[in-house]
Amino acid sequence: MHFDLIVIGMGLTGLMAAKTAAERKKKVLLIGKGFGTLTLFSNTIDLMGILPEEVPVKESLPLWIEEHPDHPYGKVGMEKIEEALSSFLSFFPPPYTFQSRNGANSLVPTGAGTLRPTYLIPSTMMKGIGLREKKALIVGFKGYKDFYPHRFSDLFRCRAMTVDLEEAHGAEVSATTLARWMEEPSFRQRLTEGIKKEWKGEPLLGFPALLGLRDPMVVRRDLEKRTGASIFEIPVLPPSMPGMRIFNTFREKLIRMGVTFLLGQSVSRLLLRGDRCEGVEVAHAPLVNTYTGERILLATGRFIGGGLRADSSRIEEPLLGLPVTQPPSREGWFEEAFFASSGHPVHRAGVVVDSMFRPLNEGGKPIFENVWVAGTILAHHDSLYEKSKEGIEIATGYTAALKALGG
Amino acid sequence: MKTETEVLIVGGGATGVGLARDLSLRGVSTALVEKGDFASGASGRNHGLLHSGGRYAVSDPVAARECIAENRILKRIAPHCVEETEGLFVSLPEDGVDFQNRFLQACRNAEIPATLLSRDEALHLEPNLHPDILGAVKVPDGAVDPFTLVVENARDAEAHGARLLPHTTITSLLVEGKRLRGVTIKDRITGEEGTIEAPWVINATGAWANEFLSLAGLRIGMALSKGTLLVTNHRLTHRVINRCRPPSDGDIIVPNDAVSILGTTSVRVKTPEDFLPTTEEVDLLVRETSRMVPQIRDARLIRAYAGIRPLFQTEGANDDRQISRGFALIDHGQRDGLHGLITITGGKLITYRLMAEKTSDLVCEKMGRPTPCTTHLRPLPGAATRQRFSERLKKMNRGFSVEGGEILCDCELIQRNEVENLLKGQTLRDLQDILHRTRLAKGTCQGGFCVYRLLGLLHEAKRVEGDSNLVLKQFLEERWRGIRPILWGVAMKEEELIESIYRGLFNL
Repeated sequence: MHFDLIVIGMGLTGLMAAKTAAERKKKVLLIGKGFGTLTLFSNTIDLMGILPEEVPVKESLPLWIEEHPDHPYGKVGMEKIEEALSSFLSFFPPPYTFQSRNGANSLVPTGAGTLRPTYLIPSTMMKGIGLREKKALIVGFKGYKDFYPHRFSDLFRCRAMTVDLEEAHGAEVSATTLARWMEEPSFRQRLTEGIKKEWKGEPLLGFPALLGLRDPMVVRRDLEKRTGASIFEIPVLPPSMPGMRIFNTFREKLIRMGVTFLLGQSVSRLLLRGDRCEGVEVAHAPLVNTYTGERILLATGRFIGGGLRADSSRIEEPLLGLPVTQPPSREGWFEEAFFASSGHPVHRAGVVVDSMFRPLNEGGKPIFENVWVAGTILAHHDSLYEKSKEGIEIATGYTAALKALGG
Repeated sequence: MKTETEVLIVGGGATGVGLARDLSLRGVSTALVEKGDFASGASGRNHGLLHSGGRYAVSDPVAARECIAENRILKRIAPHCVEETEGLFVSLPEDGVDFQNRFLQACRNAEIPATLLSRDEALHLEPNLHPDILGAVKVPDGAVDPFTLVVENARDAEAHGARLLPHTTITSLLVEGKRLRGVTIKDRITGEEGTIEAPWVINATGAWANEFLSLAGLRIGMALSKGTLLVTNHRLTHRVINRCRPPSDGDIIVPNDAVSILGTTSVRVKTPEDFLPTTEEVDLLVRETSRMVPQIRDARLIRAYAGIRPLFQTEGANDDRQISRGFALIDHGQRDGLHGLITITGGKLITYRLMAEKTSDLVCEKMGRPTPCTTHLRPLPGAATRQRFSERLKKMNRGFSVEGGEILCDCELIQRNEVENLLKGQTLRDLQDILHRTRLAKGTCQGGFCVYRLLGLLHEAKRVEGDSNLVLKQFLEERWRGIRPILWGVAMKEEELIESIYRGLFNL
């Protein structure tokens, strides 16, 4: 089969690139061996969390970009960042949508009892903002080991309780299981009864972010009706149900738009001819399928996703062998302190691209005529330190796809 | 708090608790102060080798004889802390057979049972050995669980009347004329202060010997040698594997339950707190040990750690490997005119009991109450319930149940109930105390998930209140020391996950 665009990598970057091309009536193939870090960490949409909470990012981000021209945002530009975010949001019309508060960063409570700055917040988390000033009861589940309501409440000075669920039969319950149960009205009824045993009329109930996978607003509204309290979600350890909601929404809509999805499959080889990449081979034992395409967009992420690989002395890009800019030796990859204030140098390593998002060789020349690279695999950012992961993924996935299509 | 004792021991390593046990068994009233948890220094930071003495047979015959004698005693009194694996000294082509011949002869002289094996015989026993080896010599090396050994000694000492005070520092010495009368102490967790009066104080602080002696304005000749070790995520050999050549870097692989420990380096350091393993040391250990077992090159390392060997210096030897691994017993009354103070230092984990015996002999003689030592005859309390690793595994499977609650540590399969029972049973005072006594944080992710969960449990049980994120951050920072130098390959991937959780998602 022949495609206008082949996107390798199914994280948020790949999904945005596929969306952008599909909306322009292009025939798109999206290949991914997993969901990337989207379903691990993407609870909210970070843009640049280190910018102050008082100033709208529309004002502060352009200044920051000016000071960091090498950053992927420098190649996208403020205008395209905003376009890309609008494009992302078009997949999430209310009621379950993502909003900022006054166009600026806000602090969202996390499962560790900390506050975390982020930009766009899902509707189910909004009421958690400013929690310290509110009276809340935090609810956890017996058998669910990734959220501890009493630890959270000790840090936020509110109250906590653990609900013992009969359907768990005293065993361990996973986040996905709980999220699925949440979608059953009968489960919500029993949950409400359990909560009411210890509820002292707090106007706000906080849950780990497990309020259903498909329709969290229905789950929330129903629980609010049953309890009479306001409800919010708290982001917890991976997997991230809010991230899965993003993935599921994209998958459903992109398939409807005609994108070909190859989930759970990885590219075994790229078909190279001269300075062109003509397609990909996907090993699907015992068969090898070949897909050809006009343009290839690489969005394979960093180490978790397999976009970058490290041996004991160097960091490589394994698929195309693209040059990776990096500290001179392993000794320089990480700072001596884990919580080093400036972040670890290794995070700034990555693939260097031109303003068109084409990968460059050491001499600064594009290596391929029809290959584009986007997402966190790019060099010169530290999304962990900056709190910019989803922003980079959305903005570069969108822009690189536009560039690939000649926009 | 004010208390009296006949003998005060300073230091809760193997030597200190061994002394507490020895003296208590002789009917001497004993107290012990330790600034952290038991076995926090070199006693808990070594390769866990039950020396046969082979390692020292050529270079230090006295130490070799001590080793084989103590090896036999430990197998008898602490079978539950020992795995009798045997050990091989393998010769690579570049090592030649000359050293092997000297080695065999030296083992015979020191009465260490040694059997010469052909290349094929050695490969039959240990198929992961490099196929180019010339041959090997089999000796009765083994593996020892140092922490259990130390805790068992402490438990038995306590059962015989010793008072043990972990998490306690000594703030000053009480001196009257030329005699030490006791010390002032401070509880490091509560800040509570007190006095211990004791006619005899024994400095068993290992690498910290001079730190302690400085309170009396004294100093002894000691070299501090850092030894770095690596832990693999699975066991690579059944037996201890040594390189058959004069002692040098990266010449040993010790099996330890389900993992292997690769060692060691020898780097002179200035302070006993300087035990940071470096990237360079890690690379050197992988390069050298993979000469014996090539698989090591692709093995998943889970951690690096380092301990400080306290080496007693008789004269200015330059190479730390040349300094005797024997121990030194110093009577500061004789040496410095400060009566009532004794230092025991140097030595090795394997000779802790002998060091305790000789020190106790000296103290008892000085007190005019010579009593015979019995520690070589009386098994440690847990010896009756001896459990080999394979037996413990079976028990673990039986113990694994739905009622056990959720699995807090997915690497080592530790259920909630196990941790809750531990918390009920003992007076554990900080996170390290808990981690020392469970397998939590020992597996591949090194506590990346389970320590967060453990803190959750502690809040739930109201054992902890307030901001435990400071504890979590401290733990992650400590963990990082061992992780940072081994980050490549799969470890790099997994660490990106951990960092994305704590620095990213949780914004700690």
